[in-house]
Amino acid sequence: MDAFRQAMHLLFTLDPELLQILGVTMRMSFFSTTISCLIGLPLGTLLGTHSFRGKAFLKKLLHTLMGLPPVVAGLLVYALFTHYGPFGSLHLLFTVRVMVIAQCLLITPVVTGLCASYMEQSAAGILETARGMGLPSGRVLLLCLTESRTSLLSVVLSAFGRSIAEVGAVSIVGGNIQWKTRVMTTAILLETNKGNFSFALALGCILLLIAFVVNVAASWIVKEARYD
Amino acid sequence: MIEVTGLHKQYGTRTVLDVPHLSVERGACVALIGANGSGKTTLLRILAGQLKPTSGTFSTPQPVLYLPQRCYAFRGTVLQNVLIGTKNKREDALSLLERMELAPLLQKEARSLSGGELQRLAFCRLMLRDCTLLLLDEPTSACDSHAAELLLQELQRYRAAQGCTVLLSTHSRAVAAQVADRCLLLANGRASALRSEAGTQCEFSFD
Repeated sequence: MDAFRQAMHLLFTLDPELLQILGVTMRMSFFSTTISCLIGLPLGTLLGTHSFRGKAFLKKLLHTLMGLPPVVAGLLVYALFTHYGPFGSLHLLFTVRVMVIAQCLLITPVVTGLCASYMEQSAAGILETARGMGLPSGRVLLLCLTESRTSLLSVVLSAFGRSIAEVGAVSIVGGNIQWKTRVMTTAILLETNKGNFSFALALGCILLLIAFVVNVAASWIVKEARYD
Repeated sequence: MIEVTGLHKQYGTRTVLDVPHLSVERGACVALIGANGSGKTTLLRILAGQLKPTSGTFSTPQPVLYLPQRCYAFRGTVLQNVLIGTKNKREDALSLLERMELAPLLQKEARSLSGGELQRLAFCRLMLRDCTLLLLDEPTSACDSHAAELLLQELQRYRAAQGCTVLLSTHSRAVAAQVADRCLLLANGRASALRSEAGTQCEFSFD
């Protein structure tokens, strides 16, 4: 109860550090979810609706990547963007941008895999009808995506959930730098290590609140779109 | 013209279709008849390019339109559904829906239609497009006799206007007799015979 009270106090007094951490968290989660969905949803739709040579191998690879441990993803991205790495000259390490890249590496396979599974199971009727109408393949793909938007919303929300709750990769590539790359999860970890449990719990409450607000907003958007 | 040679479809060890040879001349209307599981849908899906055969070759004129047995209603109203992927066809769509007695349902959500209404709607979606081959999988299975009559009349009108080849599967003797020039009997995946000539009753002899 103390933690919840403290969370409300931090929110309503507009604690500047909390607002900055919230801003970085939302920016990182928004961009990593958006980029992952822009890549993963069309890719998953293609994978779920087309048969081609090597599809079984590609699905196995995708399922492996869906379980990629965040610290491994963080290490990989760290190795790529470190000073002596292939992309070291871009000087992106310990910035929000590289945190977004690491998260995309983690989330894109999840979005692609979930979308492909859904399309394989449920989109057969849409495909058969749309192709039977002689629609071009781009239009068929678009119809599949728009017709399945309610189900795909849960894929997007899963991606957002994974992004906002992720700690391993972002702490490696972001460095948890105060006023720069600190996000909610790394802040919670830091406060817990410092023994400041109630503050860490307060941050946890705020994180839950954000997840709830995003879920409600997404459901409302889909409901509105349905009655357009 | 449709030309099929040695068309074979197998799932595991089970053969679901085996058509050694089939030829349908341009502009003809052929009814595929046969019991459940005889391979009618499989043949239509292969010709529509929606299913790959295990072996064999076939050639079909393009473009092809295919009406699946299970009709899918897209989001939106009946009118929006009919107009999907069309340009400047609103007037045609309205008169078509009028003829098919779907005009009172124009602004109704397509997903709230009954099975028979949905089947007519799915049929209307095809009637606004041009094709040289029309494949219909049990197009009247969910319709009552009046709705089936409307649908078949519209099919004849479309056929006369387009001059297209039509292949339709049906369990109804009346439907086959009304629209088909001839019938192809399928039994256990095998195309056994072409039974009747234009204007005559189809003979049914299920194995």
